[in-house]
Amino acid sequence: MKERLTIALSKGTLLEPTIDLFRQIGLPTEGLSADSRNMVFTYDNPEVTYIMCRPTDVPTYVEQGAADLGLVGKDIIVEQGKDVFELVDLKYGYCRFVVAVPGERQGITLKDLNYKRAATKFPVVAEQFFRSQGLQVEIIKLHGNIELAPIMGLCDMIVDIVSTGRTLRENNLVELVKIMGSTTRLIGNRVSYRTKHELIQPLVETIQDYMKGGMLSDN
Amino acid sequence: MKKREIPKGLRDFLPEEVKARRNMEKKAAGLFNSYGYREVATPTFEYLEVIESGAGHHIREDLFLFMDRDGGIVSLRPEMTVSLARLAATHLRDERTPQRLYYMANMFRQVQPQKAQYREFWQLGVELLGASGVWSDAEVITVAAKSLLELGLKDFKISLNQIDIFNGLLEQSNLAEDEQEQIRFFVESKDLVDLSNLLEKLPMDDQLKESIALLPVLHGGLEVMKRIPAAEKNRKTAEAIDDLIKVYEALQVFGINEHIVVDMGVLRNLDYYTGIVFEGYSPDLGYGLLGGGRYDNLLGHFGYDCPATGFALGMDRLALVLQKQQSKKEELRYIVGGTDLSKMVKEADRLRAQGFITELDVEGCSREELQQRLAHYHAEHEYSLIFID
Repeated sequence: MKERLTIALSKGTLLEPTIDLFRQIGLPTEGLSADSRNMVFTYDNPEVTYIMCRPTDVPTYVEQGAADLGLVGKDIIVEQGKDVFELVDLKYGYCRFVVAVPGERQGITLKDLNYKRAATKFPVVAEQFFRSQGLQVEIIKLHGNIELAPIMGLCDMIVDIVSTGRTLRENNLVELVKIMGSTTRLIGNRVSYRTKHELIQPLVETIQDYMKGGMLSDN
Repeated sequence: MKKREIPKGLRDFLPEEVKARRNMEKKAAGLFNSYGYREVATPTFEYLEVIESGAGHHIREDLFLFMDRDGGIVSLRPEMTVSLARLAATHLRDERTPQRLYYMANMFRQVQPQKAQYREFWQLGVELLGASGVWSDAEVITVAAKSLLELGLKDFKISLNQIDIFNGLLEQSNLAEDEQEQIRFFVESKDLVDLSNLLEKLPMDDQLKESIALLPVLHGGLEVMKRIPAAEKNRKTAEAIDDLIKVYEALQVFGINEHIVVDMGVLRNLDYYTGIVFEGYSPDLGYGLLGGGRYDNLLGHFGYDCPATGFALGMDRLALVLQKQQSKKEELRYIVGGTDLSKMVKEADRLRAQGFITELDVEGCSREELQQRLAHYHAEHEYSLIFID
């Protein structure tokens, strides 16, 4: 029986470079665009189905086997800690986790943050980082506009994703520490990787080879 | 108001579900008995020391722990192999070997509940104690495969590996223990990106790096083992490869090799495994169905030095797959309507012969009427309408 591969794609800024990558490696992209309101795209040659997901939902679709593969940022993978295989670093969609503090506190060190409060959309990453540094920091989970929290005195610092740093500057925040960098990854379901190995492995190798060719820029 | 709630991750089983589980147990027991395995049972909870001395310390975060009145810390059993090893070391050490034992029981783990992952789950499994040859590995793997077949699963794969292939390479690297631990973690979780980043940084022989980076993706028949560049120079790895080849060949004799795939990324994350390991998967479920392997040092922890191998199968997960298979068959139903009875009968019989449940519209409705009815039918099943004028 010929089998179909289901790939979960992240909507938003990652979609354009993803379509670009697929075009380069010969996966079908017809009709696939950021403006489309379709959520499912099905092709017959080769037999693949793309599903459009919110980036934060991609690991869930893949972990539970609703999709065999997924493309999503490392930032989301580490925050969610889902049980998925991480197959290829696709290099695009670069951003980094940072600890940032209000401009007037510039010059302090990490040690000065002990017993302080940090607002973040990424409580797992934040907690792990501070713990690994031997610091006790109170984590405040927010859902957006993290920059607002220190302005309003809700916290002493933030842990957030930064790509250019513009949002930080606009809100008078300065980067104190980089926690880790993040790029887009190809992830796979544990079981699909084994039951559909003859479909997945060649695709993984194609993408790896393509990445080694260095034809995509880092941004 | 908790009057109607039950704790997170637990389930009630309704008549159909219990029937399905009993059915599995009955069939599996018949199979195990026919191979000479005898059923044993252990207490639902054990001392924490017992569990940890067998399964390792990192299992602790999954355990349901509580105190007994004497101040001992006890744990609901998270799996059966350790308890069975304790049982055998205490009660069966003077009996003849090999000992063939099986169990069917509920296990408890404090995991995040989600599909196919429950806090109380049911397992059946076998342990073959006192035999160390590759034939004993092959027998246990065969019983695992035959259990799946017996329980009605046709489409499945069992991934086979020998963990010393990887351990040998890792030892050869002379890396610090925490670096080895990191590599093991990345290989186990198939995090190829972090693995290659880490390997790049470490001071190691290039051939060795290449071999370790390759292991998680080596998957296929016996030929994949020829692709490990550093294998020949490493005695432990070479012996493990030899062991794996012999088990694979024995499985051909046992007649289940069509389900076997060599997969060097399978390491199993319990501390007690020492040799051949394996995991079973169905394409219909994103989670593993069974797992097992050789654990030659576990009984020694309980004062009874004795080689052993075994597997456990998750009944809840298998039930999900079997359910899905069933509903898949039922998914495609047809209604054949029309005006020309002989053509209708012919079409309906043709569909039935192909295995589809097919209903004939015996009331002679018009196409529009049938379409209206289908809207209601869809709640029960997916129906397809064929109308013959």
